[in-house]
Amino acid sequence: MTTPDEDMLITGAGTAIRGVAGPAGLLRPAVPEASADPTASLTGRGLRYKDRATKLALCAGRDALADAGLLLDPGLAVPGESVGVVVSSNYGNLDTVCDTVSAIAAHDYTATSPMALPGTASNVTASWVAITYGLRGVNLTLCNGATSGLDAVSWARVMVRAGRVRHMLVIGVEPANPVVAELVGPTFDGAAALVLESAETARERGATAMARLGRHARRETHARAVGDVLGGLLDDRVDLWCRPETAPGDRVESAEEQDLTALLGPASGALGVVQCVTGAAWLRERAGGTVLATTQGADAAAATVLTGAGAAL
Amino acid sequence: MSGVAICGAGAVASVGSSLGEIFQALCAGRSGLGTPNGFDLGKYRTRLSFEIDDRPERGRDVPLRSTRWLEHVIEAAAAEAELPDLRGVPILIGTTLRELRSVELRWRDGVDFDLEELHFGPALRRRFGAVQVSTVANACAASLYALALGCDLIETGAADTVIVAGVDNISESTYGLLDRCYPEAPDALRPFDKARRGMLQGEGAAAIVLRRAESARHGWVRSVAVNCDAHHPSAPDAKSITIAMRQAHTRAGLTPADIDLLMLHGTGTPLNDEAEARSVGEVFGQSAPPPWMTAIKSMTGHTAGASGLHSLLVAVESMRTGTIPPVVGVREVMDEMAGLRLVRDEAVGDELRLAQVNAFGFGGLNAVAVVERP
Repeated sequence: MTTPDEDMLITGAGTAIRGVAGPAGLLRPAVPEASADPTASLTGRGLRYKDRATKLALCAGRDALADAGLLLDPGLAVPGESVGVVVSSNYGNLDTVCDTVSAIAAHDYTATSPMALPGTASNVTASWVAITYGLRGVNLTLCNGATSGLDAVSWARVMVRAGRVRHMLVIGVEPANPVVAELVGPTFDGAAALVLESAETARERGATAMARLGRHARRETHARAVGDVLGGLLDDRVDLWCRPETAPGDRVESAEEQDLTALLGPASGALGVVQCVTGAAWLRERAGGTVLATTQGADAAAATVLTGAGAAL
Repeated sequence: MSGVAICGAGAVASVGSSLGEIFQALCAGRSGLGTPNGFDLGKYRTRLSFEIDDRPERGRDVPLRSTRWLEHVIEAAAAEAELPDLRGVPILIGTTLRELRSVELRWRDGVDFDLEELHFGPALRRRFGAVQVSTVANACAASLYALALGCDLIETGAADTVIVAGVDNISESTYGLLDRCYPEAPDALRPFDKARRGMLQGEGAAAIVLRRAESARHGWVRSVAVNCDAHHPSAPDAKSITIAMRQAHTRAGLTPADIDLLMLHGTGTPLNDEAEARSVGEVFGQSAPPPWMTAIKSMTGHTAGASGLHSLLVAVESMRTGTIPPVVGVREVMDEMAGLRLVRDEAVGDELRLAQVNAFGFGGLNAVAVVERP
């Protein structure tokens, strides 16, 4: 499947990453150490029953909705059924699952907490985001390996295009915790989020665009994915390349390169969304250009193009 | 007519390893209820589930069972649809638990399992060369949610052919937490029974091939509506379910009176069945007579991410054969279902053209599909 060019805009972005002060912070060369935990900004009851991924996603999601002008004080500026959610994460609920089997192994089923039950299903984060912000549209959780973040952005476009919702909140999140550390090793701890909507919707509500979403491809090799999204673009010129976690066999010629894995750690299912938020922030600062984001995993590689919003509105 | 056609199907569950076997078992009232044989039952109060009996050794679990079933049902569906090359075909997999059971085995028992296989992409790449794979973890509404995505790809012109699948096995974390949550251990899964005690888990997978086509082997997908309650992480919201059902009818250009068969989600939990019955009463209470209603979980268990597609395929077979399998084990039906035509104990025969299929999941996920016979 290929996704044809169409006018789809990123109108807001947010991050919940230690040491990164919002999307523009992703353009800096290094992340300061010993920074505050972004989830400290969450308030309200029931936080102790939410897993780390959910808390991170709630922060980034809130900031992206607010940045897009969709979340005001005290609530959503548009009908809840017009906003959908897609969360991308591979390791989000591993802690709940593994801590539960450990508790059962050490004693029996009575050693578990009933509050943990929803967290055994991998959609727990998307569900809390919907509950917290009143988002009643389509609600998706994509667990698609290394390409999951870029794939989630692509599914968000399909949902808007199919008319299921007017606005999509896309969140990429991975938590660092003892379970993930033992199973996977050191990882990124954070979330990034963006709001996607059609140019028409953005125009109608007077929203400001950060970037325009271009083509997406998921292919058997990195080279094919890149070739398919760049084909036909102006000289195939890339101004900023957000590269994958592992080195691809082929290189992309670009004026600038951003290695978010070097900056933040292996971000797995969050990476693609972090890349798109980085690209959107870069395009907002420069008011134009072409950004290419690529990810690759054991089963496929994905590529997504972002361009300046220019005269979109 | 032309539309989104179901051109191939594959299914596996505790009661059979093909759609035909499963449908036959359900019509005969044959249940797959048994004792879990993949873990230490001394740790649990509940000793019942609807498992697929494919472990090499009783009492010792092995990783990647879901992945194997998924490959089996995709192969069957693709073969029936005469679709030899899956490399460029989007494959959308609805699941609650992915391969989390394999993660549990590695975490607790040191069983060999590569975390790359947590989602289904790598296995389907190796087996079928597939690269357009999406693992959609949308709890127990997952396979009908995936169906909505698949139909959107076809209807927006992004694809001509899509495979939609659902799969889940039983993880100990969910089994243990369900045991912890119910006041009494369920002795059976009794959907819409006044004294229902809760859900029992089942295992299985299902896959269908969808095509933009002029003819359909199994039937047509007329609409799929999806939404989210945004209300509670586990308790359902009848209002939101009602909206999803009405939206499915509107999208298909139908009224409730057009529906001949309603495949209920029917999990046998006190809250779920109550919310579903109230919504169904509101939407179909004025239809005279209301559609036939049934549910598969009293005999298959709750097959979670696969359950929506299991129900859909049973609906398709019911329309083809004119036979509706019953719900078994209901002793006294709950008051909210009193005026509705729930098929109980024995299969019923009737001419059927349109069926509605419900699937709901944790996180307030609702998905409702309408299918029509060829």
